[in-house]
Amino acid sequence: MSFQIPIGPQHPALKEPISLRMTVEGEVITGADIRLGYNHRGIEKLAEDKSFLQNIYLVERICGICSHSHATCFVQGVERLMELDPPKRGMYIRYLVSELERVHSHLLWLGVAGHEAGFDSFFMYTWRDREIVMDLLEMISGNRVHYAINTIGGVRRDLDEGQKARILEGVATLKKRSEYYFHIGANEPSFVARIAGVGMLTKQQVIDLCAVGPTARASGWDRDVRKEDPYAVYDELDFEVATADSCDVLGRVVVRVKELLESYKMIEQMVRRLPDGGIVVKAPRKAKPGETVSRYEAPRGENIHYIKANGSDRPERLKVRAPTLGNYPATVAMLKNGFIADIPLIFAAIDPCICCAERAVTLVSARSGEESIVRMSDLRRLALARSSNAPVKGNAVWPF
Amino acid sequence: MTDVELIERLKADLGDRVEIANPARRRLFLKIAPRDLVAVTTRLRDAFGVVFLSTISGVDNGVSFEIIYHFSTPEHDYNLRTEIPKDDPRIDSITPVIPGAILYEREIQEMFGIVVDGIPDGRRLNLPDDWPDGQYPLRKDWKHVRPVEVIPGGKS
Amino acid sequence: MLNKLARWSRIKSPWILHLNSGACNACDIEIVAALTPRFDVERFGILLKATPRHADVIIASGPVTRQMRERIIRIYEQTPDPKFVIAVGACAMAGCVYRGAYNIMGGIDQVIPVNMYVPGCPARPDAIVDGVVKLLGKL
Repeated sequence: MSFQIPIGPQHPALKEPISLRMTVEGEVITGADIRLGYNHRGIEKLAEDKSFLQNIYLVERICGICSHSHATCFVQGVERLMELDPPKRGMYIRYLVSELERVHSHLLWLGVAGHEAGFDSFFMYTWRDREIVMDLLEMISGNRVHYAINTIGGVRRDLDEGQKARILEGVATLKKRSEYYFHIGANEPSFVARIAGVGMLTKQQVIDLCAVGPTARASGWDRDVRKEDPYAVYDELDFEVATADSCDVLGRVVVRVKELLESYKMIEQMVRRLPDGGIVVKAPRKAKPGETVSRYEAPRGENIHYIKANGSDRPERLKVRAPTLGNYPATVAMLKNGFIADIPLIFAAIDPCICCAERAVTLVSARSGEESIVRMSDLRRLALARSSNAPVKGNAVWPF
Repeated sequence: MTDVELIERLKADLGDRVEIANPARRRLFLKIAPRDLVAVTTRLRDAFGVVFLSTISGVDNGVSFEIIYHFSTPEHDYNLRTEIPKDDPRIDSITPVIPGAILYEREIQEMFGIVVDGIPDGRRLNLPDDWPDGQYPLRKDWKHVRPVEVIPGGKS
Repeated sequence: MLNKLARWSRIKSPWILHLNSGACNACDIEIVAALTPRFDVERFGILLKATPRHADVIIASGPVTRQMRERIIRIYEQTPDPKFVIAVGACAMAGCVYRGAYNIMGGIDQVIPVNMYVPGCPARPDAIVDGVVKLLGKL
């Protein structure tokens, strides 16, 4: 006998509203469906009425956690349309902020994953260290979120020697602390056992459903826009693409941890090799008619902007595809054949920009149509109780 | 394989079904007719290894709609472009070839009013449930009239 | 006498419901960051609750989208009296950069009555805590 469970948009604790509807048999999910649109703000239509410079402000606010990635992707495209050649120092500063944003986003996600798996002290530790990164970003740009450091032709603020020294100090502290946490995480068998084997996604499914980012790289798919389409600075830096083979949530945690360590390496290289020179070139108001596709590796996956210009100072068409949208078909595939109690963890594992910590789930009995509301926190408690009573999976290993 | 070599191979394989432009390094724009869409996509998937779709963009040109499919491989980007008339906007679905295209096709259906034939699931994606039918927000001739806002305790 | 006790406990440790109606997440991250060890409002007894039926204060962020409108009204009605609404961020106050979009109705005060506005894009965690404290001081 199968029930249909709609997971409604009511959001008592974190981030955005989204509605999922699951068909269940007992405790196993047999079908899932996602309703988006609670967050649709009509940005593509608004962008056609604003000039390119005003659009940087608008595009930044598509997402709060990866705001710099949207702004940079847009500005890259516009600079190509206007055939500008921004100076090297400006590029280094821009992508230094990108890597710092990647660090802050992954630390945020590790905290959320720890919270979902019941490991709350991990949440507090990582968010406390995230404050170090927020302080560095505030020192560079003036704001903790929505840095607004990009402008068409370069960046708006420069770095001096004192700031460079503080960045290196901050990254050294973070590196030490990160290695300490990963040691804790690896030696906590209940954490590893809770996340191993959950949310399986095979490599063939990744290819068919066009998944992106660390979600896909945890299944052995090794594409990263920074390696294949290196924009400006990335072909001069030395780093590796992080992949894992276990195809589950544990693999996704491992991929993000590896990316954190690679980002620390990249930040140090960029600060040490910062070239001299100017930070911005003057940009024209109008763009010549043409079109361009701009791709960027955001912390969640590949971000793509398509911009078409028609000779005036406004874009004719701006199309944005944020990385989380590309992961939805993969999420539906992951939820099938999973357990109800794993829903919060699977959903958090794709690092959605419409994340969840608490939502109310409505259970609709298929026969009589009566509804009963179950809280997501109850589901999480159920999962933790179930996993603490079950024998610890002996073969779940921290592959480091 | 460089861009020039790839263009030679594509021309040899697909003949005069495509017109190819290469405006920047690694970026290829291929123009095809709407009826060749599924055939060309299948051929690109089987012979050239093009399986990753980033998104589908729709552009309103005034008299026609232009639909661009953004594909990529580790070496090149393939942007497939077709044009359909505005008074009969129909296009085939490519979900039999690329299953991950489903969400993007739902989006162009509701935003432009393009009818995608053979789409497995044609419901609304982004617009709210109480959105009136027949209103397609991203068309150039659709304008939005802002409702008057009431400022509590102040002038409107 | 019991009334006075209830009022004192409500002021001293309000329970909060966080409502996001279509925002970009920046204000929401700052609200959650207020719980973390740097700003740490939990030492004041302020708890983040999961359901409107336990909450005293609703902290709302984001402009109101058409789809979320009825849900916001329903949540507001489910919260027991006396309740207070704090609108955090420029989007919740008037729609910020999304004004004029076809799916946006404006700020939160177009849908439910608001008691306190905290400006910023996004509002810093210290500003949010300051807003909560000022609101409670007026009770």
